[in-house]
Amino acid sequence: MKNKPTVGEILQAKGVSRRGFLKYCATTASLLALPPAMIPRIAKAIESARRPSVIWLSFQECTGCTESLTRSAAPTVEGLIFDAISLDYHHTLQAASGDQAEAARHAAMEENEGGYLVLVDGSIPMGNPGFSTIAGISNYDMLMETVAGAAAVVSIGTCAAFGGIPGANPNPTGAVSVGDLVKDKPIINVPGCPPIPMVMTAVLTQFLTFGQLPEVDKYGRPLAFFGQTIHDRCYRRPFYEQGKFANTFDDEGAKAGWCLYKLGCKGPTTYNACATVKWNQGTSFPIESGHPCLGCSEPDFWDKGGFYEPLSTGNFGSGAKVAGAAAAGVALGAVAAVAGRRRQAKYTKEA
Amino acid sequence: MTSIDNIGVQVQAVHGNVRPILNEVLHALDKLIDNNETTIIDLAGLPFGPGELDVLEETLGKGELSAQLDALGSSRIQETTYPGVWWIEHRNAHDEVVGRYLEITRIPEILSSQDADICAGRVSLGEQFE
Amino acid sequence: MDLLEFARGPALQWAAYILVAGTIWRIVGIVLLEKKPDYSEPRKSGGYPAAIKVIWTRAFTAEPFAKATLYPKMMAYVMHIGLFAVIFLFTPHIVFFEGWTGFDWPGLPNSVIFFIGVATLVSGVALLVRRLTNPVLKLISNFDDYFSWFVTLLPVVTGLLIPVRALFRYEDLLAIHILSVALLLIWLPFGKLGHTFLVFVTRGTTGMVFERRGAKT
Repeated sequence: MKNKPTVGEILQAKGVSRRGFLKYCATTASLLALPPAMIPRIAKAIESARRPSVIWLSFQECTGCTESLTRSAAPTVEGLIFDAISLDYHHTLQAASGDQAEAARHAAMEENEGGYLVLVDGSIPMGNPGFSTIAGISNYDMLMETVAGAAAVVSIGTCAAFGGIPGANPNPTGAVSVGDLVKDKPIINVPGCPPIPMVMTAVLTQFLTFGQLPEVDKYGRPLAFFGQTIHDRCYRRPFYEQGKFANTFDDEGAKAGWCLYKLGCKGPTTYNACATVKWNQGTSFPIESGHPCLGCSEPDFWDKGGFYEPLSTGNFGSGAKVAGAAAAGVALGAVAAVAGRRRQAKYTKEA
Repeated sequence: MTSIDNIGVQVQAVHGNVRPILNEVLHALDKLIDNNETTIIDLAGLPFGPGELDVLEETLGKGELSAQLDALGSSRIQETTYPGVWWIEHRNAHDEVVGRYLEITRIPEILSSQDADICAGRVSLGEQFE
Repeated sequence: MDLLEFARGPALQWAAYILVAGTIWRIVGIVLLEKKPDYSEPRKSGGYPAAIKVIWTRAFTAEPFAKATLYPKMMAYVMHIGLFAVIFLFTPHIVFFEGWTGFDWPGLPNSVIFFIGVATLVSGVALLVRRLTNPVLKLISNFDDYFSWFVTLLPVVTGLLIPVRALFRYEDLLAIHILSVALLLIWLPFGKLGHTFLVFVTRGTTGMVFERRGAKT
């Protein structure tokens, strides 16, 4: 790792001025949700940071996470982060294929033993190794082999973090998350379907800048982005408090941009940064576009009831079972009445 | 041209963030006046509703001084109608906004010539005489 | 299955089954009881009009007790009206009932509900304090009284705490809130909370018996 250039050197070689560098540090602080007072520290850290090697593994996934990441406002400022990262293996993005690609992965692993980052998107099928293979290697084998010498693992997207769609009921492939298999390495989960590109970049930047992984919540998600619910940061929250709700997708409430709670919004139970970071270069996020939050960054969000069922809806079970309970009540009542009559008769006789 | 504009959506304005931010600016100005202390407010982490940022920008208005910086994409450094309150907007090469800040200071740091650049410039100017 | 899913699913389902079975058990058990033969001559004709009259008059305090019972009566009214409002006029609850019955009605703003919830809780605590300090009340109170009080106010407390983000995560407290409601539903038919569905039956019966005996109602 010592022979690798520092990020400061890379920027200098690209002819980036000090002002450009300051701008870069300011946007990095913004990206990491750090207070602007941290900018000087970030500047110092970035100048001396060295280029980490990154191996990206794609398992049972739809490539949506990669699509999201490559569509982050990448060129120049954040793009530099990717220039500063050595993406040594990514079978969708790399030019090499087959044996050459696998050779690149092995070379990166050997060269950076103990220091590289493994990024994973997609879940791992445990039902049958043949469900998903790359170059004839099962997902499980490739994950375990690659992770062995890694500094840390970043699970990109809900599939890698929690099992996601492949792991949804009835889970035909026996899909599991990275965290289910890898126990001896630090794991950062960046869930979402897909995750916010800025959040993915931020986790990499944090590692690049400070050489350490961010603080995480109980699901392994970086607290800087997953520390608050969508509901708590939603600009429509005042309408929730005032009791102003959209009842359908085309009523006056919907047109006025009122709260989408009654249309099934999962904002109150969903931890993510959509409400502040937003999507498509800060254009908007689903609620701003009039659609309730699906809760895509939460474990098992596919199996948590209907997307359009309000959060407070209960699952009451079948009417038949309620009728059965009623019938049982009648029977118990009859028995109680008979017992009561006997008791009455007994007392009457005694009297 | 697009029929999407014809949909009768009248989004009810929510401007809950504007007043607290202006209040923060007020306190930051006090700190600047009393202790010569600079404050930077990062506008990226705030849950703005549609159009709310425009309301904030309009409220602060445009002052006497405006500068454009070209480094890793353009940046606009604009003093607002309230001297000492600067609106800073960083863009990337694709002209997409990558950072928005309110800086309460006498002159934003990024406008000053930087030591490293001055030294590099000194070297390159010197080379022309050698 | 996380705690919230358990609360919304099996816990709520079983609570509902027990509530339905228990309520019908109690009602059928009472209805099928043999009426004791009354050989005495009725003083007044009685019947259902007497029942309805007493159901109405017992909503207010009889004159001789008016002053002595004013405070607990007021507290009880605040608590009961408060419970009605927080249960049936809070929008997330309305959505809950809509999911169950298909009907929906307008709710109150959250701040109003929060205020009513606090008033409900305060009146409930006031009534408990009275029960614990009044020697007569204390003597005639048993486990049923205290436990019924507990399961009634527990959902109010857990509900009021949900917006307090500093202490709990929303989904955890929501799960605990629903579980506390499940506990209430399970206990409701069996203890003194049975008055939820028996109050007018018992009051009406009292009215008919008193009228027949010629007592002042």
